[in-house]
Amino acid sequence: MSELNKVMVEKYRNDFLKEVEANVEEGNWVKMCMQCGVCSGSCPFGPYWEHPPQEIFMMVRAGKREEVLTSESMWMCTSCYNCIVRCPRELPITHIMHGLANYAHRLGIAPKMNPTRRFAKLFWQNIIKGGRVNELKLSIGLYFMDGFSNGVKKGLEMLPVGLGLLKTGRLNPFGLLGGGKCKGASDIHKMLKKAQEIENRRKGFAS
Amino acid sequence: MADIKIGAYVCKGCGLGERLNTAQLMTVAQREGKAQVVREHEFLCNSAGISMIKQDIEKEGVNHVVIAACSRRAKTDAFGFDSVAISRANLREGVIWVQPDTDEAKEITQEMAADYVRMGCAEVAKMQIPQINPSHGNNKRILVVGGGISGMTSAIEAAKAGYEVLLVEKTGQLGGWAAKLYRRVPSHEPYADPMETGVPALVRQIEADKRITVHLNSTISRTSGAPGQFSVDISKESGGTSTENVGAVIMASGFEPYDLKKLPELGGGKSPDVVDQAGLEQLARAANGAAIKRPSDGKEIKSVVFVQCAGQRDESGKHLAYCSGHCCNTSIKQAMYFKDSNPNVDAVVVYTDLRTPGNGEDFYRSAQRKGVIFTKGTVSEVVPGAELQVKFKDLILNDDAVAKADLVVLATGMVANSGVDIDTAGGAPNVEGQKEGGESKVVSILNLTYRQGKDLPLLKHGFNDSHFICFPYETRRTGIYSCGPVRRPMDAQQAIEDATGAALKAIQAAENAALGRAAHPRSGDLSFPTFRREGCTQCKRCTVECPFGAIDEDEQRYPQFNESRCRRCGTCMGACPVRVISFENYSVDTVGYQIKSVDIPDQFSEKPRILVLACENDAYPALDMAAMNKIQYSAFARIVPVRCLGSVNTIWINDALTSGYDGVVLMGCQKGDNYQCHFVKGSEMAYYRMSKIDDTLKGMSLEVERVRTCEVAITDIQRAPKIINEMAETIQKIGLSPMKF
Amino acid sequence: MSGAVATNETILVVGGGISGMTAALEAAECGKDVVLVEKNPSLGGRVSQLYKYFPKLCHPTCGMEINLRRIKANKHLRVLTLAEVDKVEGRAGDYTVTIRLRPRYVNENCTACGACADAVSTEIDNPFNYKLNKMKAAYLPFNMAYPQRYVIDSSIIGTPDAEKAKAACKYDAIDLGMKEQTMTLKVGAIVWATGWRPYDAAKIQPYGYDRYDNVITSVEFERMMDPFGPTAGKLVRPSDGKEAKNVAFIQCAGSRDRNHLKHCSRICCMASLKQSTYVNEQFGDQAQSTIYYIDIRAIDRLEDFYQKVRANPTVKFVKSKVANITEDRESSDVILHGVDTEGYHRYDNRHDLCVLAVGMEPSVDARGIPGGVHADASGFLEADAANGAIFGAGCATNALDVNRAVQSATAASLRAIQVINKVSGAEV
Repeated sequence: MSELNKVMVEKYRNDFLKEVEANVEEGNWVKMCMQCGVCSGSCPFGPYWEHPPQEIFMMVRAGKREEVLTSESMWMCTSCYNCIVRCPRELPITHIMHGLANYAHRLGIAPKMNPTRRFAKLFWQNIIKGGRVNELKLSIGLYFMDGFSNGVKKGLEMLPVGLGLLKTGRLNPFGLLGGGKCKGASDIHKMLKKAQEIENRRKGFAS
Repeated sequence: MADIKIGAYVCKGCGLGERLNTAQLMTVAQREGKAQVVREHEFLCNSAGISMIKQDIEKEGVNHVVIAACSRRAKTDAFGFDSVAISRANLREGVIWVQPDTDEAKEITQEMAADYVRMGCAEVAKMQIPQINPSHGNNKRILVVGGGISGMTSAIEAAKAGYEVLLVEKTGQLGGWAAKLYRRVPSHEPYADPMETGVPALVRQIEADKRITVHLNSTISRTSGAPGQFSVDISKESGGTSTENVGAVIMASGFEPYDLKKLPELGGGKSPDVVDQAGLEQLARAANGAAIKRPSDGKEIKSVVFVQCAGQRDESGKHLAYCSGHCCNTSIKQAMYFKDSNPNVDAVVVYTDLRTPGNGEDFYRSAQRKGVIFTKGTVSEVVPGAELQVKFKDLILNDDAVAKADLVVLATGMVANSGVDIDTAGGAPNVEGQKEGGESKVVSILNLTYRQGKDLPLLKHGFNDSHFICFPYETRRTGIYSCGPVRRPMDAQQAIEDATGAALKAIQAAENAALGRAAHPRSGDLSFPTFRREGCTQCKRCTVECPFGAIDEDEQRYPQFNESRCRRCGTCMGACPVRVISFENYSVDTVGYQIKSVDIPDQFSEKPRILVLACENDAYPALDMAAMNKIQYSAFARIVPVRCLGSVNTIWINDALTSGYDGVVLMGCQKGDNYQCHFVKGSEMAYYRMSKIDDTLKGMSLEVERVRTCEVAITDIQRAPKIINEMAETIQKIGLSPMKF
Repeated sequence: MSGAVATNETILVVGGGISGMTAALEAAECGKDVVLVEKNPSLGGRVSQLYKYFPKLCHPTCGMEINLRRIKANKHLRVLTLAEVDKVEGRAGDYTVTIRLRPRYVNENCTACGACADAVSTEIDNPFNYKLNKMKAAYLPFNMAYPQRYVIDSSIIGTPDAEKAKAACKYDAIDLGMKEQTMTLKVGAIVWATGWRPYDAAKIQPYGYDRYDNVITSVEFERMMDPFGPTAGKLVRPSDGKEAKNVAFIQCAGSRDRNHLKHCSRICCMASLKQSTYVNEQFGDQAQSTIYYIDIRAIDRLEDFYQKVRANPTVKFVKSKVANITEDRESSDVILHGVDTEGYHRYDNRHDLCVLAVGMEPSVDARGIPGGVHADASGFLEADAANGAIFGAGCATNALDVNRAVQSATAASLRAIQVINKVSGAEV
């Protein structure tokens, strides 16, 4: 258990809802759910969720902290916004799902091998480096996420697509060498650092 | 009474002139119908036609009018002549629109029309112009029984309209349960927070109103009389009785919470920290906005669980089967008491269906915003202790769960304080009975001296009778209206609306009684039943069968008609075995002579006659609308509208059969629990009487198939003609009646 | 009738549905002079379009017949149809109201013989049947229509068809030269009872009301049960006329929804429970109804009805707000997608027909009522001292069932009488 997780468990005892309200992006909306289930039915990835959004909201209220935070479910969200559009209570469900995932990640109890989480990490590292996504490096990194031989296999599979992109000028082969950074990337780093500090302070995380 | 002068008017419009021989109809009216003035007109309902009739009324002294034209439901305004008796021979909807326009059909169509002219003349000859009931009362004071929010509202609203009010309250103060509330459910946008009850202001308003007289610590020990002339005894708890006269009564005797001791599995009676909603109000009033403390040890409550539908919506038969309607909103309000004083208090509502109709949805959302947790689940047990445990099944997570709480509130629902169940003599879930722990010592609210019992009849679950969709205020005791939770479970806001409506009905009853007029549904009817004392055998059927308890028995055991209590349905007239009861404009004779006036062809004519007695409100309009849609039925049918099937006296059927009718069809409204009869019990009574008709038929050596009683709704536009045709087929099968002369 | 005389002791009732008729009658039966104005050619309102009422399963026209008889018998009550209130000026006890009367092109000579309808050939959408079928452009709005007088639709005025109608009438009842008129009335108090209208189902995009033939509204379903309705009383699918034995009911179609109507419309749960009995009425044990709901709101003794329907093995309940509907192109079956939230079960359920239990919105937004009254955010008229002597009744004030609408109308009637009695100085 991470240090932060221990702190949070101690701080909120058995009131998981309060913990979510205080620490999760848009978490204060969770209490507004009326369990109609339209979000769960509207999600295009619905069948793959172990716990659909409305059930997660109920689990939050029921104090099922461990089950929720270690769940793979909210990592399934692809931000299609179907649920938000349809929710009769106007809950920002997409944001709450991401918020929960993010919180679990921060606490260090998110499922380690969850592909979305791993991709997100990869993406984040990629983008903050130069303030702009290096698509070639991101794809390669993605292919090789599960080891070298898997990477080669996936790379070959995607070769025709890559070549096509190259041909139409949608992929810069020199990206492999770096470059493509935006001007003042270091300023972006400073801004991100500051933002992180502010957020940590706001949410009371030990930084 | 002036001499009867019958004027018969035959219309030739709408195709009547082309389809019928109106000259022959005029001859029938004159020779057989004994009409002194007979005229035909191209277009009777236009201004020329109307003024022709008016002129006859004014100059010729015509006082009984037969309109041989369209249905009595059509052109009512045009043919609504004042102070004459009117009969409508229905030649359009009743004849030409339901018969084929062919040469072969011409003869029997004409015969049909001629019969309706005969019937119209026969009816009008026996009708009298109703004179106002001489024994009507003029009192317009309103008695309100019960000083809760319903009763107070009724009193204030009636007084605001200029009426004097007597307000009688059993306890020492006004306000009832509403006065015991800390706050009430909001009635205005934004429906976000509990609001002041407003009770002290209402009490002040009553005290300041000179029109309202309040009797505290008092009950009604006797109610007798009728609208416009009720006499009531108001008894003080300390002794002493005063007698007052009033014109109408509003019963607002309220409710009691269902006893939580009957729910031991939910901790009811097992722990002081398990309270009902009324108990929670008491705690909230004590706290008055500060932290609410629990009863057992005065500890500040940090967690509370509300258990919805406690002892309600019960399918086991042990508790209340119904939903009290207000409890979801009430629990939401009460959860807000906690959240508003301290947002850190855990408040959980465990429900199966959250029922917050209308803008209650805003209130629900507001509670969620305040952090009240709503859990769909069923509670199986509340375990008492320093920390109470609420065991429930979480229906969303499909999980057995336990919620811990400092306090548990059971939403136990409302039991009507409706007095004596006059039908089962005290078996209903009566509040007083409940308190006695089953030993039903039921206390009457009104102590009516009526033959049929002390209180208003109950409909279901101990709530007062009402025709609960179209005419929710209509009780079965004329001039007595119930309102508030005694009528139906409801919250304060609804009770206020209900009480205002009841005040109108009471005022209306008193106003109409003072004019000698009937109350709903024959509002304005001036006729009333009278009986021929010499002929009466004191059999009491009329007093027993009257759906409205209008008839008592006098000291000599004769029926005593309280005319202002009468709704003019005629059930008494139908019940009377010796046919001594009649109305001026509706009697055994007005119908009997119509039946007898019909021309009965002989046994070998192959022209049977079918008598159809049809409820004027449903079956008759259904047949009318069948005609509008040109749905045909047997030309041998002769249809007589009746006020209610309950008014059908079996003598009509006997007479019809002995005079050679081949079949009789009775069409009335649905009876039973979901009755559609506008006089509640009329059609049921008719069925009961008709259940014995088979013996009569057998006694006459007639086939039982010749008489049929059926339920016909106003929408049976296709079915009603079918029923008539089926009877025609039956007759064809079994042959014509041998009883023809 | 257009010459109705009124004084500041007259009560104006706006709207001739069940609430307006009740308010008008209750006041008139107290001896007050009442003018009842109705926008449509006949009285009756929404309830006259229903097949049955819950929970008694009785017929609305039955109560309507009584009310019509009360109207016909009452000399204090005058009815103006095709009439709308344009302007209200003045104050409690002293209002001047401007009423616009649209032409009916048929005068009081009409005997409702129907010859004009036989004569014309133009057909127009039938509003009584929610435009599910057509009717002649000379018409009696429905069997029970009061006043029992035909209407010539303005769309045929100036065409030969109108002339044909006129020629067919032997009673000089057709007046093609009728023009719109306005009249002003003095009244002391106003009861506003303009009722409700069904929420526009096409706005609920995922349910495809505008795209799929076999998705209909609850009010249309009612019309299908009427033997004189658009399907001659048969429950059939609009797509192919096949019997609709397997019917889905979707609750809260527009209600309890911040994207549509924020309030709960109160009646829809009961309406669907009632309509499930229609399916049994037509198909017996072959019927299959599925009710998709969030909370079943069967309050007070209506709970009995819910229990009865729940005990019916042909009716299933699914706690779920349906996410969306798709259509099987081949069969035109509708497929409902969603999650049963009681324990999390996904479903893709095929049905013959889907009925949307559409919510109630006020048919006149109270924010636009002439004279100026308090309105809530949904456009319902809210009681307020600042409203003067304009009193809301029935569904103009809230989503109500018939019983409660009648109560509300009766209460409004007394409030109006209080004003009138003050004006007249009546002491009882």
